[in-house]
Amino acid sequence: MKRGSTPIGRLINHLEAIETGIKYLFIPRMTVKYPEEIMELPEGYRGMIKYKKELCISCSLCAQICPANAMKMYLDESELKKEGGQAKPKRRPGINYTRCIFCGFCVDICPTGALEHVGIHDVAFDSFEAQLFKPKDFEEGPPKVEFERPPKRLRPKMDPKRGIVYEPAD
Amino acid sequence: MSLSDLLKLILDLLFSPWLFVPLIFPGLITVFLLILFIIWFERKIAAKVQLRYGPLYVLKQLGGAIQLVADLLRYLFAEPIVPEQTDKLAFVLGPIFLFAVSYIPSITIPVSSSFYAIRSDIGLLISLGLLTFGPAIVLVIGWASNNKFSLIGGLREGYLTMAYEIPLFISALSMAALYGTMDLVEMVEAQSGWTWGIILNPLAAITFLILSFMSTSRFPFEIVEAESEIVMGPFTEYSGILYGLTMGASYVKFYVLCLLFSIMFLGGWQPVPSFLSWSPVLPGVILLIKSLVIMVFGVFLRSVYPRYRIDQALKMGWHMILPLSIGSVFLSLGLIVLGVVP
Repeated sequence: MKRGSTPIGRLINHLEAIETGIKYLFIPRMTVKYPEEIMELPEGYRGMIKYKKELCISCSLCAQICPANAMKMYLDESELKKEGGQAKPKRRPGINYTRCIFCGFCVDICPTGALEHVGIHDVAFDSFEAQLFKPKDFEEGPPKVEFERPPKRLRPKMDPKRGIVYEPAD
Repeated sequence: MSLSDLLKLILDLLFSPWLFVPLIFPGLITVFLLILFIIWFERKIAAKVQLRYGPLYVLKQLGGAIQLVADLLRYLFAEPIVPEQTDKLAFVLGPIFLFAVSYIPSITIPVSSSFYAIRSDIGLLISLGLLTFGPAIVLVIGWASNNKFSLIGGLREGYLTMAYEIPLFISALSMAALYGTMDLVEMVEAQSGWTWGIILNPLAAITFLILSFMSTSRFPFEIVEAESEIVMGPFTEYSGILYGLTMGASYVKFYVLCLLFSIMFLGGWQPVPSFLSWSPVLPGVILLIKSLVIMVFGVFLRSVYPRYRIDQALKMGWHMILPLSIGSVFLSLGLIVLGVVP
């Protein structure tokens, strides 16, 4: 017979629930207080994307694979390319971070490795337009993250009893 | 008349029970401070159980203790919007009346055996009776808001009233039968020498506690305001300070019920040494601490329980609590017949 089917059993269930709540009062918190402490990012973290112009062959594969239409090819008037006798401007990728879902398909598909993730994910923009990175801005890379005070770095670790715990990285 | 005479007159007036009790303790100012404390504490303890911090950055040294002052300021300066299709008079007056009827019963609470605003033979009945006005006003608010969530929330309050009101009165009256009086001061006097009501009649204590959670929509009976189902229940359309009043009202009602609980079951201001009982300060503090402990337990349940369905709460009210409260009456009568209490 299930314990919850009798009044006494239900009472015991209630008391156990309250006991569990009280037990959790004494377990240390697991919050990372973000602006004061930051978590070290793991290898292969899919943050914002860096573009190396010198490796790019203008193949447009990144713009084709992008599921959110964040990546787009722009015509670069400063570089001309011979194509069938007449000079055409070269195409270069730009990214729109209001659309990007950080899936990393563009990085995976790039045949020359011109795109790569960098461990930056916490940038605040003050306007909508600032999140649109034309090829020239894209080449300069994502903006630097600045903190008011230098944050404490923490490293996540799996603990068999408590799950994820954070220990100082230095 | 000199200035010192005037000052003395004002102080005498302020510390006379019929002004001190409604205004300072257990009345308005204590209610106000307690709301600010208990809502902060509720958020903080729920956060601690869920292994996070809760409100923190408003006065960080004290763990965000004045977060609710900041919230209150926000409510005061936010625009109270009155939607076009509402019944405007009922919509605006509803929260004010709701807060008032939740707060008014606190004037019937005695602070010590000689310090009270109202003392009546039926003091318990008066305070419980005044508390029953609340649900009717919630129904009016739900209807006046002209919003489906408000209407559903108001009707839920009506349903829940069916579940809790009768057993609440029965379990309170079982204690009245046990002490042979409904006078709150005499009830406390009857519990001198550690014969507290919770020891004499634990059945009534448990039912009264559960029903006071149910009547003030504490978890697991947060059915009226069920945020994930019906937005904010009857109070969906409110904004600004009118919303603040509706939110505060249930905490005030809970506070009054906790005061009644500590008077009926936890010995009120007992045990006060007799040489200190002439002053209302120590008894008042003891009464406040006892009811605060109950309140803290009540808000702690938020982090433990999910929400009952309305039919589960009604079933619990009629199938479990009502028989238990009737049982508590028989327990009281048994104790009288056996001569355990005089």
